[in-house]
Amino acid sequence: MMAAILSIDEQVVAMKAAWPQFAPRRIDRRAQFARWVGSVRPQYASYLLEIRYELGSSPEGRVLSPELIRLPQNVEGQLPHVYPPAENPTLCLFDPREREWSPAMTISSTIVPWALDWLTCYELWLMTGRWTGGGRHVGSEFAEVTESTL
Amino acid sequence: MNIQLAPTGLNPFDDPLDRILAEIALSVQLPPSLHDKAKSRYDAVRRHLEATTAFVDQIEHFYTQGSMAIDATISTRGTDDEYDLDIVSQLGDRFRRMTPLEILIELEAALADYPVQRVLRQTRCVTLFYADKMHLDVTPSLRLYDTLDRESLITHAKGPRRSADDRLVDMNAYGFAQWYASKTPLELRMAKEFHRRWLDHAGLAARADADVDEVPDQCDFIVKNTATLALQLLKRFRNIRYASYSGRIAPSVMLSYYAGLAARPNISLSAMLIRLANWIIRDIEQASLYGRLLHVANPICENDVFTDRWPESIAQQDEFAGHLREFVCSLEAMRNGEMFPNMMMDTLRGDFGDRVVTRAADQIATEVGGNIQQSRQLYTRRGGVLLPTAAAVAASTVNPAVSAAQPHTFFGRKI
Repeated sequence: MMAAILSIDEQVVAMKAAWPQFAPRRIDRRAQFARWVGSVRPQYASYLLEIRYELGSSPEGRVLSPELIRLPQNVEGQLPHVYPPAENPTLCLFDPREREWSPAMTISSTIVPWALDWLTCYELWLMTGRWTGGGRHVGSEFAEVTESTL
Repeated sequence: MNIQLAPTGLNPFDDPLDRILAEIALSVQLPPSLHDKAKSRYDAVRRHLEATTAFVDQIEHFYTQGSMAIDATISTRGTDDEYDLDIVSQLGDRFRRMTPLEILIELEAALADYPVQRVLRQTRCVTLFYADKMHLDVTPSLRLYDTLDRESLITHAKGPRRSADDRLVDMNAYGFAQWYASKTPLELRMAKEFHRRWLDHAGLAARADADVDEVPDQCDFIVKNTATLALQLLKRFRNIRYASYSGRIAPSVMLSYYAGLAARPNISLSAMLIRLANWIIRDIEQASLYGRLLHVANPICENDVFTDRWPESIAQQDEFAGHLREFVCSLEAMRNGEMFPNMMMDTLRGDFGDRVVTRAADQIATEVGGNIQQSRQLYTRRGGVLLPTAAAVAASTVNPAVSAAQPHTFFGRKI
């Protein structure tokens, strides 16, 4: 049996319980849309993180500030594991092919912690030039696992 | 009834900044193989000396001094893998009738055929140079009777001929080590975790598990207290800042004295490092304000002056205070999350050296990335990511503010 799809109100309640610092900036019940903004410090620096979700679409995570740093000529690209546009990228937090996220899941238990993981790997990538959190880039469909931790 | 619990210390690997500082400290640490060798070498040198005619029945005590006595040994200035270790050889009556230079020459002669790469007589000791880059300083001393335990006179003679500057210098290294130990008691949680990593770092994972899980509380931990870890980092910072300077620098024993003063239980490594540096800055500022040189003496032997050869001028002490101010400023920015990780790396490289900082970051990236790939990380309610140390895992079972991870795979493009 398939799990029930969660409404925006249910997502908002779950978010408030798990991450009180993520204030809903906009809730549109008719369009079943919500936008949250919260400050986090996964490891070394603080970030203002935005989460947008409209029922029927994939949730999106963005870093509002500070601007994400690029590393030109890095083997992982100037900024790895994001969706364009380059000037305002969305974080790529799960692999759609693996069905890791579904609308029956709470954003609070998936997208927010996965964004924290992304930020952690991003900081380590800035420090070492290596993306050690694993994953897969578009265009590498035949590669089962891309980056290694070695 | 009030029960006083001994402070266990904070695990430096629980906090991101402390973690990288602790990894840096691990990189400059005397490795387990050399630590074990050092002990056997002390015994071997003593046996060798006692087998010579000049020293037979004339060694009253043979004990470590300096960093080895307080478990604060790090690599020598200008190197990443050379270590200076010190022992004091307290000598008997026969040597009381000799001049400082005669004692040093006698010691040099007794060690001349010792199986090391080189034997070198110095102003206050004879140094043995081993092939694995360990240097062992043997300092002869004469006990000062009717004083505190092991208060002694050590030899000072530049040679090769007798000089008016030759003298015996008061010291009590043994007493200082005991004073330091009393100020920096064992912090079990911190010491166990650091000891485990120390062995692990050297590829001794199996020994790390066996040693740390089954040892009694009084195990011979390499670093017992957060203040000592901070002391090692401060010494490394000094070594790097003065890497291209050939003159005298702020002496390690003086920094150790301040670590003893600044030690406080259960504070983070970065906070301890800032506290230690600030303590020294304040004392230098105070001395300079009154136009004086910084004066630091052994707290249990006032004639044993730690600052007898440094600072040579007020400008020299002010320069060191200036370096420390910059250091504190950058550490505070890191603690407050005001420095981006790439800037933080540049700063840490400038403070502790390129190779050890790169190695520390690589170690952390591999470990943290691996944990994220295996969904072993935890999250705090305020948006922090915790690694699965024992304390963090325990917290997740009792603390609703810590939550576990769900597996996921990073996707997307390279832009």
